[in-house]
Amino acid sequence: MLNYIWISLIILGILVAAGSDAADELGNTYRNGISLEVRFVVAKRPSPLRSAWEGTIVLSAAEFNSLYGPGSADSAVNQPAMVSVDASGRSTVTMTAGSGTPRLWAEMAKHAADPGRLAATAAPLNPEAEGNALPLRMVVEPIRFVRLKAVTAAALDYAAAAVNISIGLIGVMALWLGVMKVAGEAGLLGIITRALTPLTRRLFPDIPPDHPALASMIMNIAANMLGLNNAATPMGLKAMEELNRLNPRLGTATNAMVTFLAINTGGLVLIPATAIAVRAAAGSANPGIIIGTSIIGSGCATIAGVAASRLLQRLPRYRRQVEADHD
Amino acid sequence: MTDVFRTIVNTVAVCAIPMMFVLFLGWGVVKKVKVYEVFVEGAKEGFTTAVRIIPYLVAMLVAIGIFRASGALDLLTRLLGPVTTLIGMPPETLAMAFMRPLSGSGSLGVMTELMKVHGPDSLIGVMASTMYGSSETTFYVLAVYFGSAGIRNTRHAVPVGLIADAAGMLAAVWVVNLLFH
Repeated sequence: MLNYIWISLIILGILVAAGSDAADELGNTYRNGISLEVRFVVAKRPSPLRSAWEGTIVLSAAEFNSLYGPGSADSAVNQPAMVSVDASGRSTVTMTAGSGTPRLWAEMAKHAADPGRLAATAAPLNPEAEGNALPLRMVVEPIRFVRLKAVTAAALDYAAAAVNISIGLIGVMALWLGVMKVAGEAGLLGIITRALTPLTRRLFPDIPPDHPALASMIMNIAANMLGLNNAATPMGLKAMEELNRLNPRLGTATNAMVTFLAINTGGLVLIPATAIAVRAAAGSANPGIIIGTSIIGSGCATIAGVAASRLLQRLPRYRRQVEADHD
Repeated sequence: MTDVFRTIVNTVAVCAIPMMFVLFLGWGVVKKVKVYEVFVEGAKEGFTTAVRIIPYLVAMLVAIGIFRASGALDLLTRLLGPVTTLIGMPPETLAMAFMRPLSGSGSLGVMTELMKVHGPDSLIGVMASTMYGSSETTFYVLAVYFGSAGIRNTRHAVPVGLIADAAGMLAAVWVVNLLFH
């Protein structure tokens, strides 16, 4: 099933991105090639030394939305701009994204040829014009394939992130595997395992009651319950490796592995540390209020997961995959 | 009550790991284990395990990255929003329910954003943080855990993980509506 989910995420993502870009193109969301008239409030006129105008494009949100469609700007536009004139008399407008930039232009600037700086070609401003607010006719540079470009960037970024996460795990893995090895040699893990045998015998009937995988699983679940994610992952990975020693068919998940995973993804928790920390940072009057609700939520998830793993492992299609060797 | 909770949470967060070091390593000393030698022996497996999960994690995160960047999640949220409102689930928290199994950092971002917009103690804020606390990043766990054991055929693990997630999300919606609505 993971094969289907995996390919669906990729294909669906690319199709939605292509569809969204096609819709932008058809509706011309970014007004590519269309001449727009804006109000340019001059701060500095060109001098014999510099041939550029400096100033601000000032529009109300309603005026901007009438150019680009509803929802393009949430507040009044105050976009700093520089209008430079080249030798042939053509003007180029350069707008650097900032706090006065409307939502749509900020989005466009991200995908501009020079990221963060939106460019436009404009009709020349009249140096003799009276007053400070001049009409400026300009065509903003074409913006295309925003989503497809984002998808490409995400694929490359996430591939790099995956390696960074894995490499980042080396230190904390080594630390906890070392501590666990000492606890194992000292017999502490055996004591913990024996104390919980009544529970583990029911959850993992395929695992011998004194197998080291049980100790790692117990430690992993305990760390998860306390919200100690850093400690939980190394112990969980150690547990999977030990479960794999009992695996008659390498490369295929065993029933015990799936049950263990169900407990893990259910995420049974006593102290949802991250959520509490975020609530406190957001200024909650009572960050810990979600402790009770999270225990109920994750409890239901864990029970449902364990029950589902016990039921689904009996389905012929999943049973066949582990029994094929014995035939 | 608040202060008691906060004190307990802080104490556990600060003390749990040092206490475990003291207990585990101390027990080793008592039982005359050569603690340093054994620690190093165990620690050396850390490298191979971490490196072994790289291909699994690359495959999983790239697919999730493409899906997130495409805007497909917004589309799903917009399509299903009217339906989930019927069970007392505000459409804003639907993005959370979809993001939670896919991406830990993504769902953290959704939760932070929802609290910023609606306030941490609003129904949406409490529901989003309960949903975050009620589940784990299933696909990440799937890739990393199965990766470390070299498992490619995951059998019923994906449906089991998704059933657990759905149960967690629905339970979170139910209990938050019951207590805070």
